[in-house]
Amino acid sequence: MTRRDFVGYGTTALAAAGAGQLLGCATAQRAGPGGPGGGSDGPSSSIGYFARFGVTETLIRETLAAALSRGGDYSDLFFQHRVSTAMALEDGAVNKAFTTVELGVGVRVVKGDQTGYAFTEELTLEAMRSAARTAAAIADGPSRPGPQSFHVYKDIPQRYVLKAGWDAVRPEQKLPILEGLNAAAFKSDPRISKVTLSFSDEYGAVLVADSNGRLVEDVQPMTSLYLSCVAEQNGKREQNTYGVAGRAGLEFYSPERLDRMVREAVGRTTILFEATQPPAGEMPVVLAAGSSGILLHEAIGHGMEADFNRKGTSIYADKLNKPIAHPFVNIVDDGTNEYARGAINVDDEGNVPDKTMLVENGVLTTYLHDSISAKHYKVKPTGNGRRESYRHAPLPRMRSTYMLPGPHKRDEIIASVKKGIYCSNFSNGQVNIGAGDFTFYVKNGYLIEDGKLTRPIKDVNIIGNGPKVLEKVDMVADDLVIDEGGWTCGKDGQGVPVSQGIPTVRVASITVGGRNA
Amino acid sequence: MSTTNTNLADAARSAVALAREKGANEASATVGRSRQVEVQWRDGRLEKVSEATTRGLSLQLYVDGRYSAVSTSDLRPEALERFISDSIAMTRALARDEYRRLPDPELYEGRSLIDLSLEDPRQEKLTADERQRFARELEEAARSVDTKGAILSVTTGFGDSHREMYRVSSNGFEGGSRGTQFFASADVSAKDSDGRRPEESDFSVARFFEDLTDAATLGRRAGERALGRLGSTKGASAVLPMAVDNRAAGRLVSMLLGPMSGASIQQKRSFLDGKLGQQVGSELLALSDEPHVKRGLGSRLFDGEGITARPLPLFEGGTLRSYFIDSYYGRKLKARPTTGSASNLAWKLGTKGQPELLADLKEGILVTGFLGGNSNGVTGDFSLGVQGFRVRGGKLAEPIGEMNIAGNQLDLWKRLVAVGNDPFPNSAMRTPTLVFEGVQFAGM
Repeated sequence: MTRRDFVGYGTTALAAAGAGQLLGCATAQRAGPGGPGGGSDGPSSSIGYFARFGVTETLIRETLAAALSRGGDYSDLFFQHRVSTAMALEDGAVNKAFTTVELGVGVRVVKGDQTGYAFTEELTLEAMRSAARTAAAIADGPSRPGPQSFHVYKDIPQRYVLKAGWDAVRPEQKLPILEGLNAAAFKSDPRISKVTLSFSDEYGAVLVADSNGRLVEDVQPMTSLYLSCVAEQNGKREQNTYGVAGRAGLEFYSPERLDRMVREAVGRTTILFEATQPPAGEMPVVLAAGSSGILLHEAIGHGMEADFNRKGTSIYADKLNKPIAHPFVNIVDDGTNEYARGAINVDDEGNVPDKTMLVENGVLTTYLHDSISAKHYKVKPTGNGRRESYRHAPLPRMRSTYMLPGPHKRDEIIASVKKGIYCSNFSNGQVNIGAGDFTFYVKNGYLIEDGKLTRPIKDVNIIGNGPKVLEKVDMVADDLVIDEGGWTCGKDGQGVPVSQGIPTVRVASITVGGRNA
Repeated sequence: MSTTNTNLADAARSAVALAREKGANEASATVGRSRQVEVQWRDGRLEKVSEATTRGLSLQLYVDGRYSAVSTSDLRPEALERFISDSIAMTRALARDEYRRLPDPELYEGRSLIDLSLEDPRQEKLTADERQRFARELEEAARSVDTKGAILSVTTGFGDSHREMYRVSSNGFEGGSRGTQFFASADVSAKDSDGRRPEESDFSVARFFEDLTDAATLGRRAGERALGRLGSTKGASAVLPMAVDNRAAGRLVSMLLGPMSGASIQQKRSFLDGKLGQQVGSELLALSDEPHVKRGLGSRLFDGEGITARPLPLFEGGTLRSYFIDSYYGRKLKARPTTGSASNLAWKLGTKGQPELLADLKEGILVTGFLGGNSNGVTGDFSLGVQGFRVRGGKLAEPIGEMNIAGNQLDLWKRLVAVGNDPFPNSAMRTPTLVFEGVQFAGM
């Protein structure tokens, strides 16, 4: 077992952003407002936690009282019931499926910035009270009373209203999507020799109950689909993937989106036969609109999470209200993009998220807060308190991080580069929060020679330093794209779904980890 | 069914029986329970205490030639019955797959009776005070090396876990395991003169408490590592010899093991496809999988399917000897299953420690950590961020960061020119220091 495995089971701080699967830079896919409405998954229809979790207000009250029995400042309970289903196609047949059911409650007790945490998967009074007493041990003082009455917080937005919840979708409705994509991928290019598909969906309900008597419910759908191809040509093989994801229902899989998946997955695979690893060393890099938003996630987003700043360990800890980029650079972390993978109606502490400006006209404006850091900095929580499941305490985490459009044009940016690379498709990234060094891995791109895209490139890690690279973002185009891929952000052994986006940008100079310097 | 009141074996048996009753032709069930306690300590006081008790059931269902794998933590009796019925109904909607069956029972035979010594009775008796004391001593040791006031923050942690599981298959397999683990770590953040706040850490993992590195040594090493990062620079792009320290080397080895899985081979996603019996690395690439190491982090008597665990040669003198083949991909590939995953790696070690290897290296780079990057399993092309130290005149010189290595694995492993005598004890991969010649570094 490696350290990461152990950490994955939930221990000490390891700050890394492991982005999930592959994704793309297709057209902006921001679902229109309103949506079909009235579906079974809308927050308008109450979760009915009494039935779903088998718990009562009395039980919640007694658990919170036990949680505060040693004088914690605050306590919350996070109930979660989540049913995830996945189906996979391999060698032409949808021949395996997976289902995971999670049901449990996490009990958190906060004393200043100290946290006590425990969870139980048995929702009985005995088990919940025992978990609460364990979490209570973080404090050491006289008992405080729990809430005497509760109020359901109703004023939450509806950012993912579905035609039907995934609990109402039958396997037979999903199978034709996978079979159709498989056939289309093979048909589109004779070099394709293997196709695998993975479809997943999630029906998840959460209930936050806190020591202020607040009850907040949400139903959180999620779906993703990955198409992965192997192609063979003259005895050589290449492989690539295209994935889409969102907090959406079956209607997400429109014919246009499915066509695009095949086109992108096959195109991105077969072009690799012509591609090489680029030369090594520092050079200008143009990032294509869309999934290149990984730059923002790694170079700035993690460093702006308030826990790292509260502890003084982030490279941005002393940069608040200071200029860190050209004035045309504006970066947001946004929980409000409808149907986006990184959208949330409420965060996992029950706070309604907003659109948070991280960088405004080149100036660093705010950190990303959960309730502990918000109290520390005496500001309102930004709705960034997120957790993977009831097995984990919440942490400040990103949602959908992107850069707003700038003054330049894409073609103008490419034409401005004499010798460099253009990156369009990425698989993962990582950052060292304190040193600021970060990487992202390029699956597809092109060399730029004399202002033109020439030879395809592949498989190269780009490495830079967050603040230094942001200063070097010297051109930003007007073509913002929020990526439709299924990114997962890892921190402290917890994965949460996120989105990202960016317009076409130029970084004047950054280290390209290629070959043959 | 409740795993808190019932013995795990009975719970697994009754889940298999329930699955068969509801329409599965074959089934296997794994029931597990674990408890993990952890304390986190930061800058002189307790920061977080957490306790996790989890239990769950995983079922593999074989229904009319169709297959699904399901798991649940909702073990309320009515919920479980409905869950199994729903799962079987879902399975019926899938395509038939002639290769999907339980493993051939002969693969269950010959299980060793050896006691692997995976459970330390000390774990049950650990107190909250002892855990906190360990974490506090880690911090004190880390700070003790800081004579210049460069350390900004120290976060330490101590955790321990107890896990048990029992697996039952309808065609005759039964087996269980129990084990403990202890974990300690120190993360140290320091302030550099240029405003960077480099962070480094050290950690220890062991089955037995007495095998953990003591707090004083571990904390001091974490502090030294963090201070060692001060003033790190980006070196020039060059082709240089590379030593990879034993803690970091697992990252390179995992790029090699992934493409050895039966799924990668059958799905044509492996640069090692067709290479069985061929030389893929230098003579020094020699390692095997050893499941029966006493107190080993990856030790086991049977694998995730119940297949009896046996030593497995992986590379001998650079020649690829085995793939990791489970029963499903074994049938698809018409190959005898070995096991679906690695347990503990055993390396043919060299005779020298890291300082001697660096002395032999003379000019090059010691890599102490990787940052991001990836390896293309189909082609073997890789590109990884690195940090570490420049080696000059056989000795450690300035720290380097923001650099990258790139190449192809089929080339890289042929460049393996030395193997240390220092297997890393805190990982089942137990990698020694590895030295490669002629590696492409990218920097300025």
